[in-house]
Amino acid sequence: MSITPEQIVDGRRIIVCVGSGGVGKTTISASLALGGARRGRRVLVLTIDPAKRLADALGVRSLGNRPRAIPRKVLNALGVPAEGRLSAMMLDMKRTFDDLVERFAEDAVVRERILENPIYQHASDALAGSTEYSAMEKVFELCERKDFDLIVVDTPPSQHALDFLEAPARLLEFLDSRLVQLLLHPAFAAGRFGFRLFQRSARQVLKTLERVSGISFLEDISEFLLAFEGMSEGFRERAGQVHALLFGPESAFVLAAGPADESVAHATAFLDRLEESGATVAGIVLNRMRTWPAAGTTLPPPGQREAAVASLAEALEGEAEVRGNARRAAQAALSVLDGYAAMVQRDRAATASLEERARESGYFWRPVPEFPRDVHDLEGLAGIASFVFEAGEEKVAVGG
Amino acid sequence: MSGVTRGGTTLAEPARSLLDPRLVIVTGKGGTGKTTVVAALALAAAERGRRVLVAETGREEHVPRILAPGSDPVGYPGCEIRPGLTAMRIDPYQALAEYLGLQLRMPALVSRIMRYKGFRQLMDASPGWRELITLGKVWHLEQQEIGKGEPRYDLLLVDAPATGHGLTFLDVPRVVVSALRAGPLRRHATWVEEMLRDPIATLLVPVALAEELPARETVELVARIREGVGVAVDRVVINAVLGCPFPEDLPDLDLQLARIPEDRELPGLPPVPVIASCASHLRSRFELNQRYVEEITRASGLPTQTLPYLRTGIRGPDDLEMLAEVLVGPADGEAA
Repeated sequence: MSITPEQIVDGRRIIVCVGSGGVGKTTISASLALGGARRGRRVLVLTIDPAKRLADALGVRSLGNRPRAIPRKVLNALGVPAEGRLSAMMLDMKRTFDDLVERFAEDAVVRERILENPIYQHASDALAGSTEYSAMEKVFELCERKDFDLIVVDTPPSQHALDFLEAPARLLEFLDSRLVQLLLHPAFAAGRFGFRLFQRSARQVLKTLERVSGISFLEDISEFLLAFEGMSEGFRERAGQVHALLFGPESAFVLAAGPADESVAHATAFLDRLEESGATVAGIVLNRMRTWPAAGTTLPPPGQREAAVASLAEALEGEAEVRGNARRAAQAALSVLDGYAAMVQRDRAATASLEERARESGYFWRPVPEFPRDVHDLEGLAGIASFVFEAGEEKVAVGG
Repeated sequence: MSGVTRGGTTLAEPARSLLDPRLVIVTGKGGTGKTTVVAALALAAAERGRRVLVAETGREEHVPRILAPGSDPVGYPGCEIRPGLTAMRIDPYQALAEYLGLQLRMPALVSRIMRYKGFRQLMDASPGWRELITLGKVWHLEQQEIGKGEPRYDLLLVDAPATGHGLTFLDVPRVVVSALRAGPLRRHATWVEEMLRDPIATLLVPVALAEELPARETVELVARIREGVGVAVDRVVINAVLGCPFPEDLPDLDLQLARIPEDRELPGLPPVPVIASCASHLRSRFELNQRYVEEITRASGLPTQTLPYLRTGIRGPDDLEMLAEVLVGPADGEAA
């Protein structure tokens, strides 16, 4: 018996939606959030870089870095009960990281030194996954505020599986590294055990770096690190809490994937890493699957195609525009169906291994069909939610 | 609305062939089929008698798998996987070791540095150097000669990293040049920067999909390249564009199918509403694709080249050759 989407939106405080870019992760996150709100929870969906029209629909385009509530009137139309809420927020990662520096810096001098350091300015968004760290940090902060029962996190598209989850650990490891310690406190390092050997290699590395890079670079780096050091205690504690929250019983992970070969390969790699990490994997939403509009659709076998064309031609004969051309039209219609069947077959074959894995591991498996139009409004999200959740309502592939 | 909009927005042709520059950097988000474009161009170049090098920059190798299935991984030094076609994966740490080796000329010291854990931690956490060392390696390869004045490679194809906007990758040398006051690193970054900004030698080729997010990102990418990065870009390649599902003389086939009474029995066929819905779905997706092709063309202000969606995926070199012909014309046409 696998865990269901209903169970996680009801019982968890955080749902992390992971997956490679381009699979509609934001859309999936938002529809999970909508599903939660429909079940009476107060939900926030935290997105990173939504498509413009979806952002407009969620009302997050204009307001930076703060949750914004979807109006009650809209929620009523979407079937969200009175106690349910839905808010959305677009994360401004650079700003979140700046906020973090402001909060943890010991005093105004340290803060200014960090924010004005050239290395920070050029690189704070690239430094050791600091953007990913910021996203996780924001989740923690929002979770502590208890304004929401459930936060659905749309993670940044990262090619390499769980970079964002490992970012805090990497950042800390870096700040702790002996090379950094030497840059910061050459005198203190001198008192350490194993000092001689360490000092010789570290000095050599530093000398080499200076020779290759030019000394100014190193000065800037150590200046930056020195300023950062004052923050690292608060940072460390925080990173530990963030990690405990994400991998604890209050969080669940949902994998968003698509039927393209590359996406399936990424999804498999994600699952490997997630399972290793000890996270609770709840299920897989497979977005934009090409499926038959009605289950159990089959096409005529080779021997019956002629008869099928003839009967379809006869049915089309009444159409003024195809009169006299009905047979060709019927043949064209059959080849449209052949083409459709090939796509359905392809997507099913491409995702079979993933589906098998979901079944074996007890993950929920929710294919969402490709819609005729892009999903960029709340109606479209409701359409997706109808395929993710088992509600007794009719499932609709909403057009534009 | 009458009839399906057909493809073929009239476009100015890009002025030169994709095989003319010395260095072609193919960029695009994951999933756009960037690697397919790289492989198709590499194959086309080799078959047209060029000595071509393909450099991948991700953590995995894809090109050898596509062009020479079953071959061993080519790794860092790279190897010739087809006549005239060398493939490699630029691993930043291996490139760094090579660079330090060339700078210091002390192999023992370099290998000690590379093994030193603190160094690895420092480098793991440091931004920018991977991009710089990768481009530095490309520059180095571009400089190589097999005889006097005869370059080792006629064409270098780089499959740029799929992360970010692909812009960080190209922007790092400029940042380094502006952040460093002096030193060998600054000098080398300047060389790389000059190579990238040479409009004759270097061309950036963005690969997009005709979908909302990739279209928007591509348009932003082109704008930012023109504003700041300064690498030549003369077209957008749009991959996996759906063809019109209906014959030319039956542009409204879906509407006609939809007018057949729903309960009409059609032996052997799915119910009428299913047939009509499939036809209408394919038409919608096709038209949506066309709209984004037009949007990219309009908003980027660049000619676009569209590659057809292949229902079966890339089955082998024949499919790649077909795609290459769309991009660079037929092989025998080139001599003329």
